[in-house]
Amino acid sequence: MIGYIESVINGILMGSIYGLTAVGLTLIFGVMKVVNFAHGSILMVGMFAAYWFITLTGFNPYLALVVVVPLLYFFGYYMQKIIIKPIFEAEKHVREPITVIIVTTGIWYVLDNLALLVFGAEFRVAQTSVTGKMVEVAEMYFPLAKMIGAGITLLLGIYLYWFLKHSRMGKAVRATSLDREAATLMGIKQSRIYNIVFGMGCACCGVAACVLVPFYYVYPTVGVPFDIKAFVIVVLGGLGSVPGAILGGIIIGIIETVGAQFMAATWTEMLIYAFFLVVLFVKPSGLFGLRQDY
Amino acid sequence: MKFLSNVQTTHKVFAALVLAVLYALPIFITSPVMLQIFILIFLYAYLTSSWNFVGGFAGVLPLGHSAFVGLGAYTSTLLYLTYNISPWIGMIAGGIVAAAFGLLIGLPTLKLRGAYFALATIAFAEGLRVLVENVEKLGPFEVRGPKGLLINLVGNSFKDFQFLSKVPYYYIILTMLVLVLILTFFMMRSKVGYYLAAGGEEPEAAEALGIKVSKYKLIAMAISCFLTALGGTFYAQLVLYFYPKSIMGLDMSYEIAFIALIGGRSTIMGPVLGAFLLRPVGELTRIYLGDTLPGLHLIIFGLVLIIVMRYQPRGLVEPVSRWLNILFDRIEKRRRA
Repeated sequence: MIGYIESVINGILMGSIYGLTAVGLTLIFGVMKVVNFAHGSILMVGMFAAYWFITLTGFNPYLALVVVVPLLYFFGYYMQKIIIKPIFEAEKHVREPITVIIVTTGIWYVLDNLALLVFGAEFRVAQTSVTGKMVEVAEMYFPLAKMIGAGITLLLGIYLYWFLKHSRMGKAVRATSLDREAATLMGIKQSRIYNIVFGMGCACCGVAACVLVPFYYVYPTVGVPFDIKAFVIVVLGGLGSVPGAILGGIIIGIIETVGAQFMAATWTEMLIYAFFLVVLFVKPSGLFGLRQDY
Repeated sequence: MKFLSNVQTTHKVFAALVLAVLYALPIFITSPVMLQIFILIFLYAYLTSSWNFVGGFAGVLPLGHSAFVGLGAYTSTLLYLTYNISPWIGMIAGGIVAAAFGLLIGLPTLKLRGAYFALATIAFAEGLRVLVENVEKLGPFEVRGPKGLLINLVGNSFKDFQFLSKVPYYYIILTMLVLVLILTFFMMRSKVGYYLAAGGEEPEAAEALGIKVSKYKLIAMAISCFLTALGGTFYAQLVLYFYPKSIMGLDMSYEIAFIALIGGRSTIMGPVLGAFLLRPVGELTRIYLGDTLPGLHLIIFGLVLIIVMRYQPRGLVEPVSRWLNILFDRIEKRRRA
């Protein structure tokens, strides 16, 4: 019994980090109706940045947040401004912005393979003060790095909720996502909102990258499994919904760890995809999705 | 030949000329390496043209077509290895299996926004790959999980779909490509084609006119998956050894989509143009640079894609056909004069 509780809690810890990457994806989709396929690659960029920061300076791993998060914010901001915006503008009135989706896939390919070219294919592990440390709670053991990661995720989730609900900028973001034209008529500059939201989405990846590096391998295609899980999570939680993304992440995390108690780890991966397809059949709008969004 | 009446004579002559050159090519090119490059170009042009039925005409973005390549390859090869059924029959069986799976995926997702469909196809393809990697035995079939399938070499045999020379493969895939292009031509001028075009651009308006858009999208999906699986069987017989990552991986799905978009989706010649531009980049960098610069061709693919989408969002087939038309008009004028 205690083993199951332990694995459920471990699932929640890891799942909240999945949720964090999914939050970035869902923010961008909610406002621009574009699925950013390069999301995992941006996480990878963040992980390499955090890895090199930690390895070269030897500081506390969580200090990397101060450097990596702004770095990825501007990375996303300018990626949207320079590459995505002109393509997005051209098909603004098309119902299905396919060109933008495929361009983000192109960015994914360029980033992943550039990393492969520059850093090589080997798996790297950052040696930090929290790496490999376990915490005992009532005869159950949890990795310290995952607990800190889940804690940071929780704080960020609360902040994002406050930001979207109460801040002036957050209100502008929500207005744009509800009705582009009406928001423009109210004096909200769309292109600026898009840049900021893209930057924020990528900054979420930056936070996730920093909390992952102390206990996860860093390699050029590390983004791919996270990317695909993030896709599953956002559909599960409802494309465009922030609480849905975090809850979806936790559900996926629990399926993964509890499933591993009964079957080989490769089968749990399968279970996630099957679960995803079932959700699409039964409730395509996801747990928190708005009907209008699909 | 009424359907050809609105095609200019110069166009017909040009098309016939290109076909004649391509069919005569193996007489001049004897190097197996060069032939293999051409075979792969045609194969990707074929797969992309099949993709085009749903990705182009139905106006959605499928990103998991390697799943159907894999279904075709696995179905025909397993039937051949277990019951010694000729891959030519297995090819059709694979097509039917793939079409059935395509309908299953399309049914819930084609009604939704395009992003859902793109995500669902990726999840399906990856899920299927993981599934195949975990299955050693399925009833009487030896699937062999991640080790993949090996087709025994039996020498030249049409029944077994095996040839020692590359030339028969060249002619088979070229003919398959020509047939699928003819099918695309008819499809574009058929009721289904017009319904799809209307449904892709203005689904609400099309529905209001009484067109069941999702029904026609499903038909397109089934055709597309069927044709893609035939390409999968061809690939299996060409390489004779494949495993889940090589045939159902995301890379192949993306390459198909990249070729379609760079060439020009929902056009007949776009996939062919895209394959002729992109495939050689992959092959040549692999031959000349080998492993020294891994992934370089994928960086080039990505950059070409971003640049083309930025300046020619409808694909490169548009400027190319514009130049060709100017050329044709000049020839036509000279002929008349």
